Amino acid sequence: MRRRWLSAALVMPALLVAGFVVVGGIVMSVVQSVGLDPLVGDARLSLDAYGANAGELLTGTLLSLAIATVSTVLSCVIGLAAAVVISQGRVTGRLVAGLSAITIPIPHLVGAASVGLLLSDAGILPRMLGISSGAWPDLVGGAWWIAVVFEYTWKESAFVALVVAGVLASRVARYDETAALLGASRARRLRHVVIPLARPAVIVCAMIIFVYTLGSYEVAWLLGRPYPEPLPVLAFRLFDSITLTSRPEAAAVAVLTTLISLIAVGVGMALLRRTPLWN
Amino acid sequence: MKSPRRAVTAGALALGLAASLAACSAPAGDAADDQEYGSWEEVLEAADGQTVRLWMYGGDEQGNAYIDSELIPAAAEAGVTLERVPIADTPDALNRILSEVQAGETDGEVDLVWVNGNNFGTGKKAGAWECGWTEMLPNMELTDPADPLLQDDFGTPVDGCEAPWHKAQFTFAYNSETVTDVPSSMEELLEWARANPGRFTYPAPPDFTGSVFVRQVLYSVNGGYENVPLAFDQADFDEVTPALYEELTDLAPSLWREGATYPQDSNELNELFANGEVDFTMTYGPATLTELVANGTYPAGTKVVTFDEGTVGNASFLGLASTSGSKAGAMVVANIALSVEQQVAKALPDVWGQFTVLDLDQLSDEQRAEFDAVPSSPVVPAYDVLSENANPELASGWVSPIDEAWRQQVLAR
Repeated sequence: MRRRWLSAALVMPALLVAGFVVVGGIVMSVVQSVGLDPLVGDARLSLDAYGANAGELLTGTLLSLAIATVSTVLSCVIGLAAAVVISQGRVTGRLVAGLSAITIPIPHLVGAASVGLLLSDAGILPRMLGISSGAWPDLVGGAWWIAVVFEYTWKESAFVALVVAGVLASRVARYDETAALLGASRARRLRHVVIPLARPAVIVCAMIIFVYTLGSYEVAWLLGRPYPEPLPVLAFRLFDSITLTSRPEAAAVAVLTTLISLIAVGVGMALLRRTPLWN
Repeated sequence: MKSPRRAVTAGALALGLAASLAACSAPAGDAADDQEYGSWEEVLEAADGQTVRLWMYGGDEQGNAYIDSELIPAAAEAGVTLERVPIADTPDALNRILSEVQAGETDGEVDLVWVNGNNFGTGKKAGAWECGWTEMLPNMELTDPADPLLQDDFGTPVDGCEAPWHKAQFTFAYNSETVTDVPSSMEELLEWARANPGRFTYPAPPDFTGSVFVRQVLYSVNGGYENVPLAFDQADFDEVTPALYEELTDLAPSLWREGATYPQDSNELNELFANGEVDFTMTYGPATLTELVANGTYPAGTKVVTFDEGTVGNASFLGLASTSGSKAGAMVVANIALSVEQQVAKALPDVWGQFTVLDLDQLSDEQRAEFDAVPSSPVVPAYDVLSENANPELASGWVSPIDEAWRQQVLAR
């Protein structure tokens, strides 16, 4: 009993800080979004802020979901492949591990700026290849958000690779060897040993990446186009707008983004519970 | 002064949070502001030792250099530590002040802001600015009190809520090596864009520069600024803007990337111009062009085009945040910024090249000679040429509706 109190007391500081930020932020957003904390005028309970940009809210949600889903799937597939290569332990494995480790500390903002310089139609790549800006595809600011997805995938697949490689390193060698001794082929070992071992880590990574890309602003703003806007860009523009009534609308977009993120985490946790290893 | 709104907020907070959060969100009441000064001497005395943070757009390197090498040392001589806080866009500063107003802050992060237009108008409505202080500044005597650019800021009466800083003129620049048939009016410019598909574009409003471009087109399609009422009215909006959006929607396929997208801000347009992807760029601060051509960023053939009907002109100001805890220091800095010495330094093309707000007729011969000695630019004509037939800015109430309708009708078409 005493030990339980002690451990509770020990995590309290972390819990308080997290609770303060998360609960405080969400409560403030909800309060603002329903019109109870306007910059000017009287507080009045209403859902106007949610309806004010209904059209943009819908396109923004679909766009954000699309970007987050594609980035998450690509990152997990590439990251898992890289992790398998890393856990083989050969020279290529060390090279991939090194590349992934270098990628991690680069901030997304810097990554986005670099991708922009590299891939835009007057960027370094078209110049090196001698392709005129007219003939170069609209990777940056184009209709398909390619540069945005590319940036997320590049950064986040490195993250997946390192996390999953860490998990695999602890047990995969032993199981893999046993399976090999029992006569399992490469493909079978991958399917029945490596992937099941990696699955919980991949699901956790996928949750983190999905929620991160759904809520992150700078990459989509720098490499995207002015219309349609993903949710965080829409929220930031409304928050920063000098129309005094648009702050509740920004809060409404933020609340919606939070809701989607919570649902995504819920789905992820359900998937995680169903993996045998987690239990 | 406990409003029902605060009570509701506090109630909601208490529901969701521990007492700690409520304690720091509830303002300690609107404590009386003790920063009231009877005379300029009192201001000078109170300012000594204060630190003033000037929030300004950080993307203008010459502007940054001017502050760092000219204004900061001059403020230091008066005993005021001036710090420059670079921001991506002026609404960042306004939003900060509004958040502080909302939280009841009295010693906020923002003291001075480089501001004008709807940022000023909106802030004034929401109580973001300290008012009635500029008449105390001794150097205000050097300005012309009847100058319309200094009396109204985008239709909002200045009322001593901001001190004039410099004048700006909306200007188009083009690459004379590729543009041979130079347009002489807005109408001709749009014709040129249609005749040369993909070689022209403008930043997407609410970018400051893109926004003024759209207003300039609004004047043009209505046959001049005289036909657009400056004060905002929904009925006028419904009458004069359909032609604008029709024109811009029709123009879109001739623009860069067929108008499927637009540069996000003026920096992006400037990059397109520097890379030779488009043949025109536009700016509120034409004086910076000289340096950009000289250092090779812009093509050597860059020239400024002036329109028969004139372009929009305005003035920039230094706003004093109502939540500032260093109001005296901020007033001293605003006064120094208005001095002949600083205005001349700022006007030099290799420093910043901003047009002065001082009234040259009020200056002594000696002071006027200093302005006369400012070298002329090979790229940019003098202010009196640029500002010929200058168009007034629409009231700030127009700006957001025009920008928003542009998003819906032109961008999202």
